[in-house]
Amino acid sequence: MTFGRLVWRDLLRNPLRLALTVLAGAVGVMAFIFLRTVVDLFYMSAESAQADRLFTRAKASITGDLPLSYLSRISAVPGVDDITFYGFFGGRYGESQRDFFGSAFVDPPSFMRVFDELVVAPRQVAAFQEDPCGALIGKDLAKRYGWKAGDRVTLKGTLYPGEWTFNVRGIYDVRTGTLDTNSLFFGFRCLNEKLPDERKDRVGAFMIRVEDPSRSAAVASAVDAMFANSPYPTRTESERAATLGFISMLSAIITAVQVVATVILLIILLVIGNTLAMSVRERTRDLSTLRAMGFKSGRVVMLVLFESLAIGLASAGLGVLIAPLLIRGFIAAVGSQLGVPSDFMRESTLVLGALAALGVALLAGAIPAVRAVRIPVAEGLRKVA
Amino acid sequence: MSTAPVEEAKSPFIRLRGVSKAYRRGDIVIPVLEEVNIDIEAGAFEAFMGPSGSGKSTLLNLLSGLDRPTTGVVEVGGRDLARMRDKELADWRAGHVGFVFQLYNLLPVLTAAENVELPLLLTPLSRAERREHVAAALEVVGLGHRMSHRPPQMSGGEQQRVAIARAIVTDPDLLIADEPTGDLDRKSAEQVLDLFEVLHHELRKTLVMVTHDPHAAERADLVRHLEKGVLQ
Repeated sequence: MTFGRLVWRDLLRNPLRLALTVLAGAVGVMAFIFLRTVVDLFYMSAESAQADRLFTRAKASITGDLPLSYLSRISAVPGVDDITFYGFFGGRYGESQRDFFGSAFVDPPSFMRVFDELVVAPRQVAAFQEDPCGALIGKDLAKRYGWKAGDRVTLKGTLYPGEWTFNVRGIYDVRTGTLDTNSLFFGFRCLNEKLPDERKDRVGAFMIRVEDPSRSAAVASAVDAMFANSPYPTRTESERAATLGFISMLSAIITAVQVVATVILLIILLVIGNTLAMSVRERTRDLSTLRAMGFKSGRVVMLVLFESLAIGLASAGLGVLIAPLLIRGFIAAVGSQLGVPSDFMRESTLVLGALAALGVALLAGAIPAVRAVRIPVAEGLRKVA
Repeated sequence: MSTAPVEEAKSPFIRLRGVSKAYRRGDIVIPVLEEVNIDIEAGAFEAFMGPSGSGKSTLLNLLSGLDRPTTGVVEVGGRDLARMRDKELADWRAGHVGFVFQLYNLLPVLTAAENVELPLLLTPLSRAERREHVAAALEVVGLGHRMSHRPPQMSGGEQQRVAIARAIVTDPDLLIADEPTGDLDRKSAEQVLDLFEVLHHELRKTLVMVTHDPHAAERADLVRHLEKGVLQ
């Protein structure tokens, strides 16, 4: 027999209790990883933001719009390499909430230049640029609805009333960057020509590519200074800052998710701690017998801590195995609304979940372990479980 | 004239001088042992008797290093136990003391062999050597054929014999038995007492037993009585 075998045998003393504890721990680990992944999803686009791109929007609000005429003026600012624009369309493909996905108007030629992380077949790029109502759709969106080049898609406008029909001219993928593969982009002309005069020639934001990323701040200042005293002052920031600014509107939700994730760790702590406390209490006489035989307190503490660690390991292993399935299911259900890739899962989050479970398990075992050796041996020997 | 070596040779294996023990419960001090003086020679088999609460088990705890006296000296094998730190006491117990308890105190999740092997985990013996020692100890108690059985699969008498095997497997100098027959039927009790006699006479172990059972006490070389913490 070895010390490890003693730990193992003690663990199996009450198999049902052990199984339920591991299961409870695994559910906790799974929930923790799931919630952390939800937070990761929010920050995903910010982390992959391009260093050489700036984002110019209305200073008053992120939902405000800007005159299209700004395009040429911004283009003339020293340091600006290229520029494009876009506007949120907010179309809905069906009646259900699940049929909502990202849709925006763009200027096809400049959009393809500035967002060069887009991967589209050259023939489809040409078709997209030639057709005023041509649309590019992300590969996950296409897969979801079975759309292909040549199909016609009609969306109900929420910001632009009416029904709007677009011709699918291409399917895009992304190499990296802030764009997801669950959106639809269509040509600005298709929308602009049908708008009343007071809504024509207005865009949501400009995306600027700078010649030298180290001069981004100077270019941003120059752009904002140019429109500072105009009716539509601008706010220019890096793509990352802009994305984080957008995320900050959801900060309360993100904070709540993070708090719940932390609470879940606390629950794992209590579940494992409770099991170990019961187990140690039941074994007070056995542990005192070991101490009477000459086992030092440190060894008895290690015995309990190893049991705790084993429970933590089993919980972490099971949780890490199940969590990706849950996340895949979640993304399949709502991923298109969030605009995230279907295979999104960070290994670092899995590792964090596993390490958190192990840390919490050790912490949970510490109190029962110390209590087990604080009781005098002679007193412990008299205890009957 | 050099008398010291002669006195050293005569010094008892266990020597208690002016030993008192009191427990504190809040503000109340409860005396359990008062001014106990005892000498026990190496290889002796002594029994302590007395009514419940007379301090028998407390005395056993003191001379086995499980507890410390409030005042007085407890020397075993020339070591002053009261002066030893917890870790030293643990090492000392591992090397010198074997325990036999009334309720056997076997770990129910381990087999008989594994229970007997437990004290050997604290020794530098190899796994094979440990196995040999375990087999030998279980043979001594007549349970060589029950090695892979767990305590719940054994009778009380068999469990107590496994506990005795565990107590002797490290070949300790001192065996401490606290009511070893208290939970056994007469036949099993006799078997256990027979074993004690073997350990005492053939293996020359020093055996100190606490018992309520006059029949068990008869087997000892000397029976001492405790009454309200005072040695009679």
